[in-house]
Amino acid sequence: MLKEYNYFGPAPDPEVSDRETRKKPTKRAEFLRDLYFEAKSSTSMEFPYWYTRTWEELDGEIPIIRRAEALKSGFEHLTPVIYPKELIVGGKAIYLRGSFPMPWLSEAFYLASEDKLYKEALESGKLTADTVTTMGQGGGNVTKSAGSVISIAGKFGLRKEELPVLIEISKKWKDKSVDDIGHKYEQMVPDYKDKEEIMRSVICMFDSGYTLPQGREVINYYYPLQWGIDGLIYICEQEINKVAGNPDMDRLYFYRSVILVLTGIKNWILNYSKEAKFLATVEKDEKQKKEYEEIARRLINISSRPPENFHEALQMIWLFHIAVLNEDAISGLSPGRLGQILYPYWKEDIDNKTITKSETLELLECLRVKFTEIDCFASTGVVGGVLSGNTFNNLCLGGLKKDGISAVNELEMLILEAGITCGTPQPTLSILYDEKLDEEFLLKGIECTKTGTGYPAWVNNNVAMEFLLNNYGSEGMQPEEARAWSIGGCLETSPGSWMPLTYKNKLYYIPGGSAPATSVGVHFLSLPKILETVLFNGLDMRTNERVFPSHNLKLENYNELWNTFKDYFTRAVDVLARTNNIQHDAWRKISHSIVNSLLKPDCLEKGRDIGQMGSRYNRTFNVESCGTANLINSLSSLKKNVYEEKNFTIDEFRDAVLNNFGYRTALETGSYSLIDQIPSEKFDKYKRIHKYCLEAPKYGNDDTFVDSILKEWEDWFCGMCSNFKSLYDMPLYACQISVSTHGPMGAVTLATPDGRLCGTTFADASMSAYPGTDKNGPYALFTSATCWNHSLSQNSQMNVKIHPSAVKGREGSRKFLELIRAYLRKGGFHLQFNIVDSRMLKQAQKEPEKYRGLMVRVAGFTQYWVELGKQIQDEVIARTEYEEV
Amino acid sequence: MEFKCKDCKFYLAIDVFKGICKLDQKRIFPDDVKCMSYEKIPKCKFCSNFTEEKENLGSCMKNYPAYPDMTAINCQLFQWK
Repeated sequence: MLKEYNYFGPAPDPEVSDRETRKKPTKRAEFLRDLYFEAKSSTSMEFPYWYTRTWEELDGEIPIIRRAEALKSGFEHLTPVIYPKELIVGGKAIYLRGSFPMPWLSEAFYLASEDKLYKEALESGKLTADTVTTMGQGGGNVTKSAGSVISIAGKFGLRKEELPVLIEISKKWKDKSVDDIGHKYEQMVPDYKDKEEIMRSVICMFDSGYTLPQGREVINYYYPLQWGIDGLIYICEQEINKVAGNPDMDRLYFYRSVILVLTGIKNWILNYSKEAKFLATVEKDEKQKKEYEEIARRLINISSRPPENFHEALQMIWLFHIAVLNEDAISGLSPGRLGQILYPYWKEDIDNKTITKSETLELLECLRVKFTEIDCFASTGVVGGVLSGNTFNNLCLGGLKKDGISAVNELEMLILEAGITCGTPQPTLSILYDEKLDEEFLLKGIECTKTGTGYPAWVNNNVAMEFLLNNYGSEGMQPEEARAWSIGGCLETSPGSWMPLTYKNKLYYIPGGSAPATSVGVHFLSLPKILETVLFNGLDMRTNERVFPSHNLKLENYNELWNTFKDYFTRAVDVLARTNNIQHDAWRKISHSIVNSLLKPDCLEKGRDIGQMGSRYNRTFNVESCGTANLINSLSSLKKNVYEEKNFTIDEFRDAVLNNFGYRTALETGSYSLIDQIPSEKFDKYKRIHKYCLEAPKYGNDDTFVDSILKEWEDWFCGMCSNFKSLYDMPLYACQISVSTHGPMGAVTLATPDGRLCGTTFADASMSAYPGTDKNGPYALFTSATCWNHSLSQNSQMNVKIHPSAVKGREGSRKFLELIRAYLRKGGFHLQFNIVDSRMLKQAQKEPEKYRGLMVRVAGFTQYWVELGKQIQDEVIARTEYEEV
Repeated sequence: MEFKCKDCKFYLAIDVFKGICKLDQKRIFPDDVKCMSYEKIPKCKFCSNFTEEKENLGSCMKNYPAYPDMTAINCQLFQWK
């Protein structure tokens, strides 16, 4: 059905169009990227073994010291791995795409083979999302066990020699992990059972406290860049002298823990230098031998003191990035405005002719490959269902300097160029758009977007600053500091600070993150599924279980329906916020953030880790939603068809939903998009109602009827979040990104009043239209999307698919930039593009082996096509494709 | 004991399936039988403190679980058998 449904504009050429811009990376980066393509996600037990062993040896020690010693042991025992041709070295574990389990966060998942524990976890709703998630079947995912390798979560390979110790170590964390301790106490929340029902119905996707307790934030590299590791240890020693024995003793333990962790990181770096020296001794190729020697020298330098050139600075920030990732399960640790942070080093080198632009480009390409190697080890539901295997290391460009002028520099132009020449999912790029940014830079961004990599995202600088000042003003944020912001994770607006870096006797103010994870809290809430429970008196009709108390209302008018929806949504946020607070409290008491804390202002100044509000800004908990467009279109349909025109009754509609409008379900057909669904024998009975549902006013067409519903929802949602408090006693805020949750959440949701069929994927993001329903072109979509104030929310997200021919040539680039400007000038927050011919994606689905390097934009992140689950692949194919702009 | 590439100090793992020989950059597999250039890398199974108790599991100093294939180049307790 509806084969041309998802196109706007004239039909595309018969020939499948490739992307216009094509450039190649340097030979070195190509070699390293090919090595990456060869590598499978692999996990190992080295770090968790030593962490756990040291933790147990120190039973009875002050918790933060115990944690620090455990981390130190983990770092010191890691086996260093350096690959040929690398210029930037260091990784999370012993493999190229290495990662490791962290059973101190949650161990039940690793014990999944033990039936009883698995069943317990499933019953409590913890693993439900795993069961409805599809993991990408290609690329680097180890989807099946084979030979000496065991597949974990359908993604990670583990050598079978390491399985017994994984089980042994995991058992040691039973009843002691953040998950178990948090679970023990969250059951004391009076309506805890409601939470279990909400999780089981997949109305909520996951608990952030033990799955991804950190991330969705911007790292701050300032402290090691300014002071070096020895300098930071010295600062902590001095602070210990001041605080030891005096009141507020927690500071003593914090400074001691920082010294311990820094010592571990220092030894880890020195172990890498030893490996580089060793490799130099066995290397026959003179050029490679010299490079190993230089790597060793560089590592020795930065193991103790601040970097003295661009390359050393790059190596240092990379190692600290990995060091943070190794202390917790983290997705979305963004490097932030890296081109502005490293500019002082690069400018000095380029002026002194100690580096050239082509050498810089090669280094930046190598950095892209390194970031792409990062894997995050978590459960299927989290890695597949939420993250699509992505790690969201968002690098931001543009924005404003401390004094309010454009922050763009030449190094950022090279970062964009590296994004073009060496297309990789990480780091994804975002342009912090401001009217002050110059045209040359913006057109460079357009050139990059046209490569079809899905980056850069275009993000509204003013909207973000307004959001930050609204939310962090009470903690002292001023407009000048709001300019230091950046994107954490895929699209989380995160506060930053200007840090006074002294380099070669000059003072620079560099931006860096100054808050912990800006996206923890209630994650994610399925809006269409909540509406389903409203329509069915509080029941989840997939499982036939009760989620919310019966409302016993006849839903006789729209207001009754809308108020009941708000009531159920509020109930969900209420219980989830409280249980989540307990989990995060368990996290901060058991699994203190030490590496990330020592980097974040003002933890070192205050002597407190981020779990003790050591950061400058701490109002970082939120409520995340999923399925906005489907909710709005569904409300529109019900309002029009049931309450205004009375085309069918609510009971007739319920019957149609339970029969999936006379179609087979997505589970039966294996296709998760509205396109290509297959009618059943009941098709004729329900086609009239389905037609009304499909023809009801849809979001994205500049239609006041439906846009007013969106505005009412947004104003209410963004306001109600602040009625709930984080464990730091601060109000929550709204966050509106779907990431990949629209796949699994759609999979468990019946047909919806907008005509969407059972099990099919929701619309992506929050401001994207449902595929094929935005029939009036992009400008109408923009008007609909901006009918509300986007600065009320941490973000909003819009993904647009454009056929390559629509933006071809220089004229196409100009039109493209004007299109972006039109949305951002209207107050839209975020815009992102897939420049791709959908037919190419269909070909790639059939012949994935021929498209290993093909990347697409999902919702706030770029991922290799072959590593996406089918739910998301189908949704991206189905998106409306604009043939003209 | 059969010595394999994964037990060699010149083995560089790419992933759980394959690796590179540090001497000639050729692709090799972890379970390949050792070659002439083989040099043992410190691993628990080569350590005098390690006691094997069952398949792929044993103890270190007889008081903490350990696994034979763990690399021990950075272990202060390691002593060649």
